[in-house]
This record gives sequence, structure tokens and C-alpha cells, in this order.
Amino acid sequence: MVESLFPSIENTSESSRRKKPRISETAEAEIEARRVNEESLKRWKTNRVQQIYACKLVEALRRVRQRSSTTSNNETDKLVSGAAREIRDTADRVLAASARGTTRWSRAILASRVRAKLKKHRKAKKSTGNCKSRKGLTETNRIKLPAVERKLKILGRLVPGCRKVSVPNLLDEATDYIAALEMQVRAMEALAELLTAAAPRTTLTGT
Amino acid sequence: MLEGLVSQESLSLNSMDMSVLERLKWVQQQQQQLQQVVSQSSNNSPELLQILQFHGSNNDELLQSSFSQFQMLGSGFGPNYNMGFGPPHEAMDECISRTSSCHMEPVDTIEVLLKTGEENRAIALKNKRKPEVKTRGEEKTEKKIKIEAETESSMKGRLNMRNTEASSDTSKETSKGASEIQKLDYIHVRARRGQATDRHSLAERARREKISKKMKYLQDIVPGCNKVTGKAGMLDEIINYVQCLQRQVEFLSMKLAVLNPELELAVEDVSVKQFQAYFTNVVASKQTIMVDVPLFPLDQQGSLDLSAINPNQTTSIEAPSASWETQSQSLYNTSSLGFQY
Repeated sequence: MVESLFPSIENTSESSRRKKPRISETAEAEIEARRVNEESLKRWKTNRVQQIYACKLVEALRRVRQRSSTTSNNETDKLVSGAAREIRDTADRVLAASARGTTRWSRAILASRVRAKLKKHRKAKKSTGNCKSRKGLTETNRIKLPAVERKLKILGRLVPGCRKVSVPNLLDEATDYIAALEMQVRAMEALAELLTAAAPRTTLTGT
Repeated sequence: MLEGLVSQESLSLNSMDMSVLERLKWVQQQQQQLQQVVSQSSNNSPELLQILQFHGSNNDELLQSSFSQFQMLGSGFGPNYNMGFGPPHEAMDECISRTSSCHMEPVDTIEVLLKTGEENRAIALKNKRKPEVKTRGEEKTEKKIKIEAETESSMKGRLNMRNTEASSDTSKETSKGASEIQKLDYIHVRARRGQATDRHSLAERARREKISKKMKYLQDIVPGCNKVTGKAGMLDEIINYVQCLQRQVEFLSMKLAVLNPELELAVEDVSVKQFQAYFTNVVASKQTIMVDVPLFPLDQQGSLDLSAINPNQTTSIEAPSASWETQSQSLYNTSSLGFQY
């Protein structure tokens, strides 16, 4: 099954680089696109991928440290929410790692962590720098785009790292992202079920 | 007898220096030979005589009828025909491909060949700005690829269009004569019926088809997308689904955050096989997730209130946590609500 993951990498990079006679290129691009789509749908459903994801998730979750909250009133809530965010980020990163860098959203997720750290670094240096102003400006200048394009933009915002991506690529990324998310949901549900079934009493009586 | 005649011609053909005039002469010789063969053989095909009459004419409408007859011919004639026309066919093929790549030929000819190898093919060549057409009596899937290649590459290759003639032959993809465009170095395409033929609209059409194909893939994977038609509705469903999935991930991550201390305790239990077992259980009942989602306290908006959504969705965590009395008990309750199917 691992082999099924790798050919997709080679094929997509090769077909973009080669300069072929025109007809065969377009015909092959057809077949390529079809193959990419079908493969992306199938590869997130294979058992092997699920196993890989499950193991990595478990390991990563073990390493997640609980964030200690400062306030005493909403202590439990903040603790939970903070931990939840961490867990979600961890799960997303593990998911992106399972994608093996073939898709844009996975690369964006993995890169966002680095970018966030850099931003924190920069924020410590200079206190200005707000992106909100730019957003307000576009809002006022906006003429009503056609509905489909508006929705495509929204979809681009939902899929990580796909804001300025062309329409067909965006649809491809969305397909892969949805398949990956479904697998993630399944894995996390299974893990939660396992944990609740394994030790149902300890936490309940603990609080 | 036939083979002897043919072999001479094939030799001269293989030299590839023939002008079109010479080839025309050769074809006429073939016709005469054919007539001899026909008269000698039993009354196999009266259609052949008709076809031979067609040879000299530039009549396009008869081509289609002749093609179907050719296919019958190919099956009818059998080995006699095979041997005679085997060798020169390849040579003719190459010659034809050469001429088709150069447009401006003064001579107006139709050269008809019949190949009865593995496939039944009839090749008609017309040189005065008419594309080359090869027919195959077979699969629609191949046709699809080729016609798509045709539309895609038409803007890149040389366009040879005639609407009126094309409309009679190829209307959409269900053309009955099964005429296809053979891929050569240069593509000669025929426009579909009633559609514009300039490069821009063709490119536009190709792009639109690509996008619609990808939307179909999305339609397959997103549940409930089949009932909606149109791009906007489907996009709505897709966006909704992605948001649902992301919300579910957040909810589950919160749940796991509570259960996380047990992760170290339950080390032995968390084995992969148990995971697999749960996977299959969850997969089987996956379709009910969409129904159960409204039960979650997380679900806020029905329609798309998208200006409020930022990709991080950190705000959604605060709301449900406030509504619970004690975290673990409520978690257990909601989990029993949602996850036991």
C-alpha cells in the first residue's frame, strides 16, 4: 500500500515537467487527472493509511503536554479548550504528515506551524502589523461577485493553504481534504471509543 | 495474381517519393483490380461496386454510408482481401499521414483503403482543407478520450473546421457512424453541432469540462450532493460538509483532551487491531453522522453564515463548554447521544 502512495508523487511531478507533443500531453493529462482523483479518494480509505495514522496519532497524543491554566474560575474550561486545540493541531499535523506532501493543504498545515512561530517571534519585536485593515478595505470595495465564485472563495478559505489557488486545483484539493478529514474523524472517534471503553470509571469518579 | 500486382506498387510506395498524382493513379489501378476481383469472385458485395463509384467523387455524404459498408466488406471478404491489401496499407498510411500534415495540396482526391487486420478501419482522405477521418467500429470509452483530446488539442493543433459538413457527421458523442479523429502529429478536428469553433471558445469549453468533471468527483464523495443540481448548490453542500467535518474534529479533540490522561494508563489496550475493529464499526455507521450532527451542541448555523467563520474556529469550543455542568459527565452524555449508532 505504501507503493500506492509513492507513484502519485512521481506521476504528478513528472507530468508537469515534461514537454511532450501536444496531443498526447492533453490526453495524458486527462487520464492523469482522473487517476489523481480516484486515487485520492481511495488512498484515504485503505487500511494501511488508517493504521499509520492511528499509530502516529496515539504517539503524538502521548507527547502532548497539558497546558496549565492560570485562572482559577474557568480553570477546567480553559484547560480543556487549550488542550483540545493542541490535540486538534496535533491531529491535523499527523494527518498532513500522512499525506506525504503530495497535496497543497498538507504542506500548508505543516508549514503553518513554522510560520506561527515566526510570527510570534516577529510580534515580540514589533507590536504593529494588523491584517484586519486589509480585510476591511476589500469588504468596502467589493462588488457582488457571482455566487459561484463567492462560494469558491469560501471553500478556498476552508481548505488550508488554498486561498489563491486556481479553480480546478482547488476542487482537487478539496476532494483530497474531505477524504482525509473523514479518515481523521473516523480515527479519532475510534480512539475515543477505545479510551472510554477501556477506562470508563476512573475519570468520572475522579472529578 | 493480386499479390503480384500489389507488391510492385507497394515497392514504389515504400519509396515515399510518390506525388499525389501517382498515388491517385495507383488507387485507380486498385479500383480496376478490385473490379476484376469482384467480377471474378462470387456475388459477394454489390456494395463494393457502389463504393468504387464513390472513389472518383468528392461526395461527402456518401462517405458515411460507405464506411458502414466497408465494415461489412471487411468481414465479408476475408483472407483474399487481406493479403492483397495488407502491405500497401501501411505504406499508404504513412503517405496519408504525410499528406494530411501538409494542407495545401492541389489535387482533390479521395483515397479509400480498407484494413481488415485486428480492427476494421476505413480511411478517407480529402486534401482540400478537409480533415482526415478514421473510423473504428468499437468502444465508446476510447471515443470519449479521443473526442476530449480533440477538443483539448484543437486549439493547440491546426484547426480545420467546417461547420456544415461537420454537423452532419459528428453530433456530440453519440455519433452513429462511429467516426473519430485519429491522433496524428497535427490534429484535425471537427466542431460539434451548433457550437462555435474559434480557439477561445474551444479552450473555454475544455476548461469548463474539466471543472465539471472535478465537481462530479466531489459530488460522489459528499453525501447529499446528488439531490442538488447546479454548481452553486453543490458548492453549498460541499462547504457545509467541510465545516461539519472540521467541527467534528474539534469536538473529538476536546473529547480526547479529557480522555488524554487515560492514554498513558491504557497503553496495552490501545492496539492496532482494536483500532481496526472500531474503524469498521464506525465506517459502517458513518452515514448517520450527518443526521446526528444537529444533535451536537456545537451546531450553530443552519444556513451559511460565513462571514463569522474564521478558519481556526476557536470560538466554537467556548460555547459548548459553557453549556455543560461537569465536563466529564456531560461529555459522556453527549457522546452517548452522538456516537452510539
